[in-house]
Amino acid sequence: MKKILLAEDNSMLSLLLKFRLEKEGYELLIAENGKESIALIEEHSPALILTDIMMPFISGLEVISHVRNTLFAKTPIIVFSASGQEEVVLKAFKLGANDFMSKPFSPNELMNRVQRILR
Amino acid sequence: MQNTILVIRFLFFLYGFMLIGSYIVLGIISVIESIEYMKKNSFVNYNKILSSNISPSISIIAPAYNESLNIIENVRSLLSCHYANYDVIIVNDGSKDDSLEKLIEAYNLVKVDFLINEQIPTQPIRDGIYKSTNPAFEKLIVVDKENGGKADALNMGLNISTNKYVACIDVDCLLIEDALLKLIKPFLETTDTKVIAAGGVIRIANSCIIKQGKLIDVNLPKNMMVQGQILEYLRAFLLGRMAWSRLNGLLVISGAFGLFDKKIAIEVGGYDIHTVGEDMEIIVRMRRYMEELEDKPKYKVAYIPDPLCWTEAPDNYKTFISQRNRWTRGTIETLRKHRKIGLNRKYGAMGLLSYPYWFLFERLAPIVEILGLLYFGLLVFFGKVRWDYTIAFILVAYLFTVLFSIIAIISEELTYHQYKKKGTGLKMVIISFTEPFIIHPFILYSAVMGNIDYYFNKKKKWGAMTRKGMSNTQTKN
Amino acid sequence: MVVFNYFIELFEKSDLIIEFVWFLIAMLLFLVITIIIYLKYLRSTLRRNEKSKNKLEKEFETAIITYLYAGDPDSKEISSDQLLIIEGLKKGTSKSYRKDILIATMLKLGYEISGEMAESIDKLYIQTGLKEYSLSKLKNKKWNLIAEGIRELTLFEVKEVQHLVKEHLNHPKSEVRSEMQLYLVNLFHFKGLDFLNEIKTPISEWDQIQLLEVLQLYKTQEISDISSWLKSSNESVVFFSLKLAKIYNQYGVKEELIALLQHPNVNVRVEAIHIISHLDIIEAKNELKTNFNTLDLEEQIAFFAMIEETYELADKPFILDNILNPNFEIKYSALKILKELSLDEFNSFKDLSLDPQFIKIINFVESN
Repeated sequence: MKKILLAEDNSMLSLLLKFRLEKEGYELLIAENGKESIALIEEHSPALILTDIMMPFISGLEVISHVRNTLFAKTPIIVFSASGQEEVVLKAFKLGANDFMSKPFSPNELMNRVQRILR
Repeated sequence: MQNTILVIRFLFFLYGFMLIGSYIVLGIISVIESIEYMKKNSFVNYNKILSSNISPSISIIAPAYNESLNIIENVRSLLSCHYANYDVIIVNDGSKDDSLEKLIEAYNLVKVDFLINEQIPTQPIRDGIYKSTNPAFEKLIVVDKENGGKADALNMGLNISTNKYVACIDVDCLLIEDALLKLIKPFLETTDTKVIAAGGVIRIANSCIIKQGKLIDVNLPKNMMVQGQILEYLRAFLLGRMAWSRLNGLLVISGAFGLFDKKIAIEVGGYDIHTVGEDMEIIVRMRRYMEELEDKPKYKVAYIPDPLCWTEAPDNYKTFISQRNRWTRGTIETLRKHRKIGLNRKYGAMGLLSYPYWFLFERLAPIVEILGLLYFGLLVFFGKVRWDYTIAFILVAYLFTVLFSIIAIISEELTYHQYKKKGTGLKMVIISFTEPFIIHPFILYSAVMGNIDYYFNKKKKWGAMTRKGMSNTQTKN
Repeated sequence: MVVFNYFIELFEKSDLIIEFVWFLIAMLLFLVITIIIYLKYLRSTLRRNEKSKNKLEKEFETAIITYLYAGDPDSKEISSDQLLIIEGLKKGTSKSYRKDILIATMLKLGYEISGEMAESIDKLYIQTGLKEYSLSKLKNKKWNLIAEGIRELTLFEVKEVQHLVKEHLNHPKSEVRSEMQLYLVNLFHFKGLDFLNEIKTPISEWDQIQLLEVLQLYKTQEISDISSWLKSSNESVVFFSLKLAKIYNQYGVKEELIALLQHPNVNVRVEAIHIISHLDIIEAKNELKTNFNTLDLEEQIAFFAMIEETYELADKPFILDNILNPNFEIKYSALKILKELSLDEFNSFKDLSLDPQFIKIINFVESN
């Protein structure tokens, strides 16, 4: 079973995505902040990382930077950003993110992208 | 002789009466203001502004002096504020430890060429100005300068910032994530009044569980000293300042966390490096500047009662006394420097209300109290004490203090309800009864010592600033 | 006992004032005790409420998510499983505080997702009768409830009650007006902005930012005609349309923008210069250059920011006039431009002044 890490501080959104992804046969690891997600990434090396950019303590950007520059991992990363954060998204891409979705996003659309990446 | 004694008695009585009266009035006003505030903010959506690039730019200025122990974590917490358009300026004020090296290493800093518009004179740059090579830390600017004290470091930050607003904070305090957002709101929501500065509540973080720069669990500490201060802060912030903000008469924003209109802060010349009470002094000076403008614009100093900033309070008598001694001197210096305002109609409510209040009930309170004690001592010595009067009046004062404290606790429960644990309520009530004996004597002692140091010990007055004078709270658990 | 009698005696003999003080003490004591009891009561109620609120939230969360996945993917109709959940929720929210919690729970997700699932949440809102609940708030006397009601109608996209919401266009409380504006813009986008024609009250900066953020959710560059708003007598409307002009690159309102350079409010003029610079409206440049000395300092600084983007050789005399400008920013800007225009001349002027500020700028410009 492929593992996916979701770093997101809205518990209800996490729950919604968890149901959906588990139905599709993935194992979802949920982190509520950047620090937790780094710990989970190091422990489980997931096949895909979904991360919000604005998170307490360690931002999504730093998570990306950690994955690419410290762990030297090529794990695909999709970032979530609030709308109007084009600059931050650009930064995320510069750091090595693979895709982004701006909130509010459609969970169906997210599923499509996840499946495309993990196929 | 008999007449003099009567007059003295009458004066003491009048003072006490006015003090209690002003507390009641402030209490009522604060309740009205709190209800209004909670209603107004119950349905605000901060999400939209949070991520908006159109939102005005803010610089967080955090002076640091020998903070090596926690600096990495503290900076990280500042970098993760929920706001789109801000930067963080850490001013290393001539630290003798390895703060700078640690920062360089942790945040991949490199020295950059930086043109400073030195609008406020400060101590010179020591090592240079640093920025990170890692885009994830793009918001961070570290300035290494010669030691000049907290005010001087903040002034350096004011010179360096290119943003419209500056948030001046103590590097060791913990900001909750949307602190900037909530504090910028008053600046943006007024349409006919200019907000020149906004301050928040300071809450005490001792014994609270802080993980990864985030407040996880709020606890009531066991240390009686700190317990007493928690109650004191609740009274001051939830009842006192709330009311003063309603009256637009705030004379102080806590140095631990305040947001300023940078242009005005610079126009008045920044922080005064010659006082230990720079946080109060700059507000009084900015207000005075606004009052003295030709066209008399409507302005205000705003106040946000949300618990946005948590800091460690002194947990031993030694630090506590030296902190309060410094506060006393700061108040004296500020009030003295701006004595022109007092009872001056030209300065409106500030001159007729705030200043006299501060002078009578903050500045003079310890002196009146000491005089009262001395007078009482004399009476005892000559065997002239009317014990029935004494006991009765002490009881009134005591019960009133207790009542006021418990109202502050209720006010906290109704608004933010931070102390959720079972049993804490009873503990808080007990503290309300014991607090007058536990910290009040020390507050009185340090205030008197502050007066003595101010008038007779000039060396201390100056020495304290360059050696220390960084943070309100030096201790860490 | 002796002591006690002593006090009784004392009390009988004492003056009126001391009797009054003892009465006061009794009062205070009574107050303290009452208020302690109240505190106790308050704390336990709060704790109980919080517990039941958390429990309800969890229940509602699960119910909503189950509802979302219980739909038939091929049909727009509500499935029978969904109907069951709706009935359950209806029964569970007879009291208004429960309704508020359900709404809050639905919104927790509503803020984050869009597409079919978001639509399905909107449907749930109507099916559970919450729409009527929100509408009833609009008729309430309390302004905070009106604002709350409008906000709910906005977030669940109830378009057909526009006329009811618009009644509050000039409500005395700014919070209500702001919710009304957000409703219109959220649901009708640029068309919703028509209220700008009528509004007499100022729109705060905070509200302006919110409105612009909402508009930006709809990825379109086609916007309404802003030219009449730029001429509005309501200054906040002018500021708002200036922001629109910038974000949506409104070259069409060139003349209106240039006209704003004469506006009585200096902040409007400064903002107009920024936008003119952003849109590269060269026509305004000469006028500003000629009148430079009559401009306010803020305008001069804004104009120099514009010159930095648009300088050409013909500007050199003007630039040279300003390399000793007493203002730091202008001086810096002028020297920077001069270096770009002609390195030779920059080098020949660099010993022009011994002012330390000047030297500092020269050194910085030279090495950057």
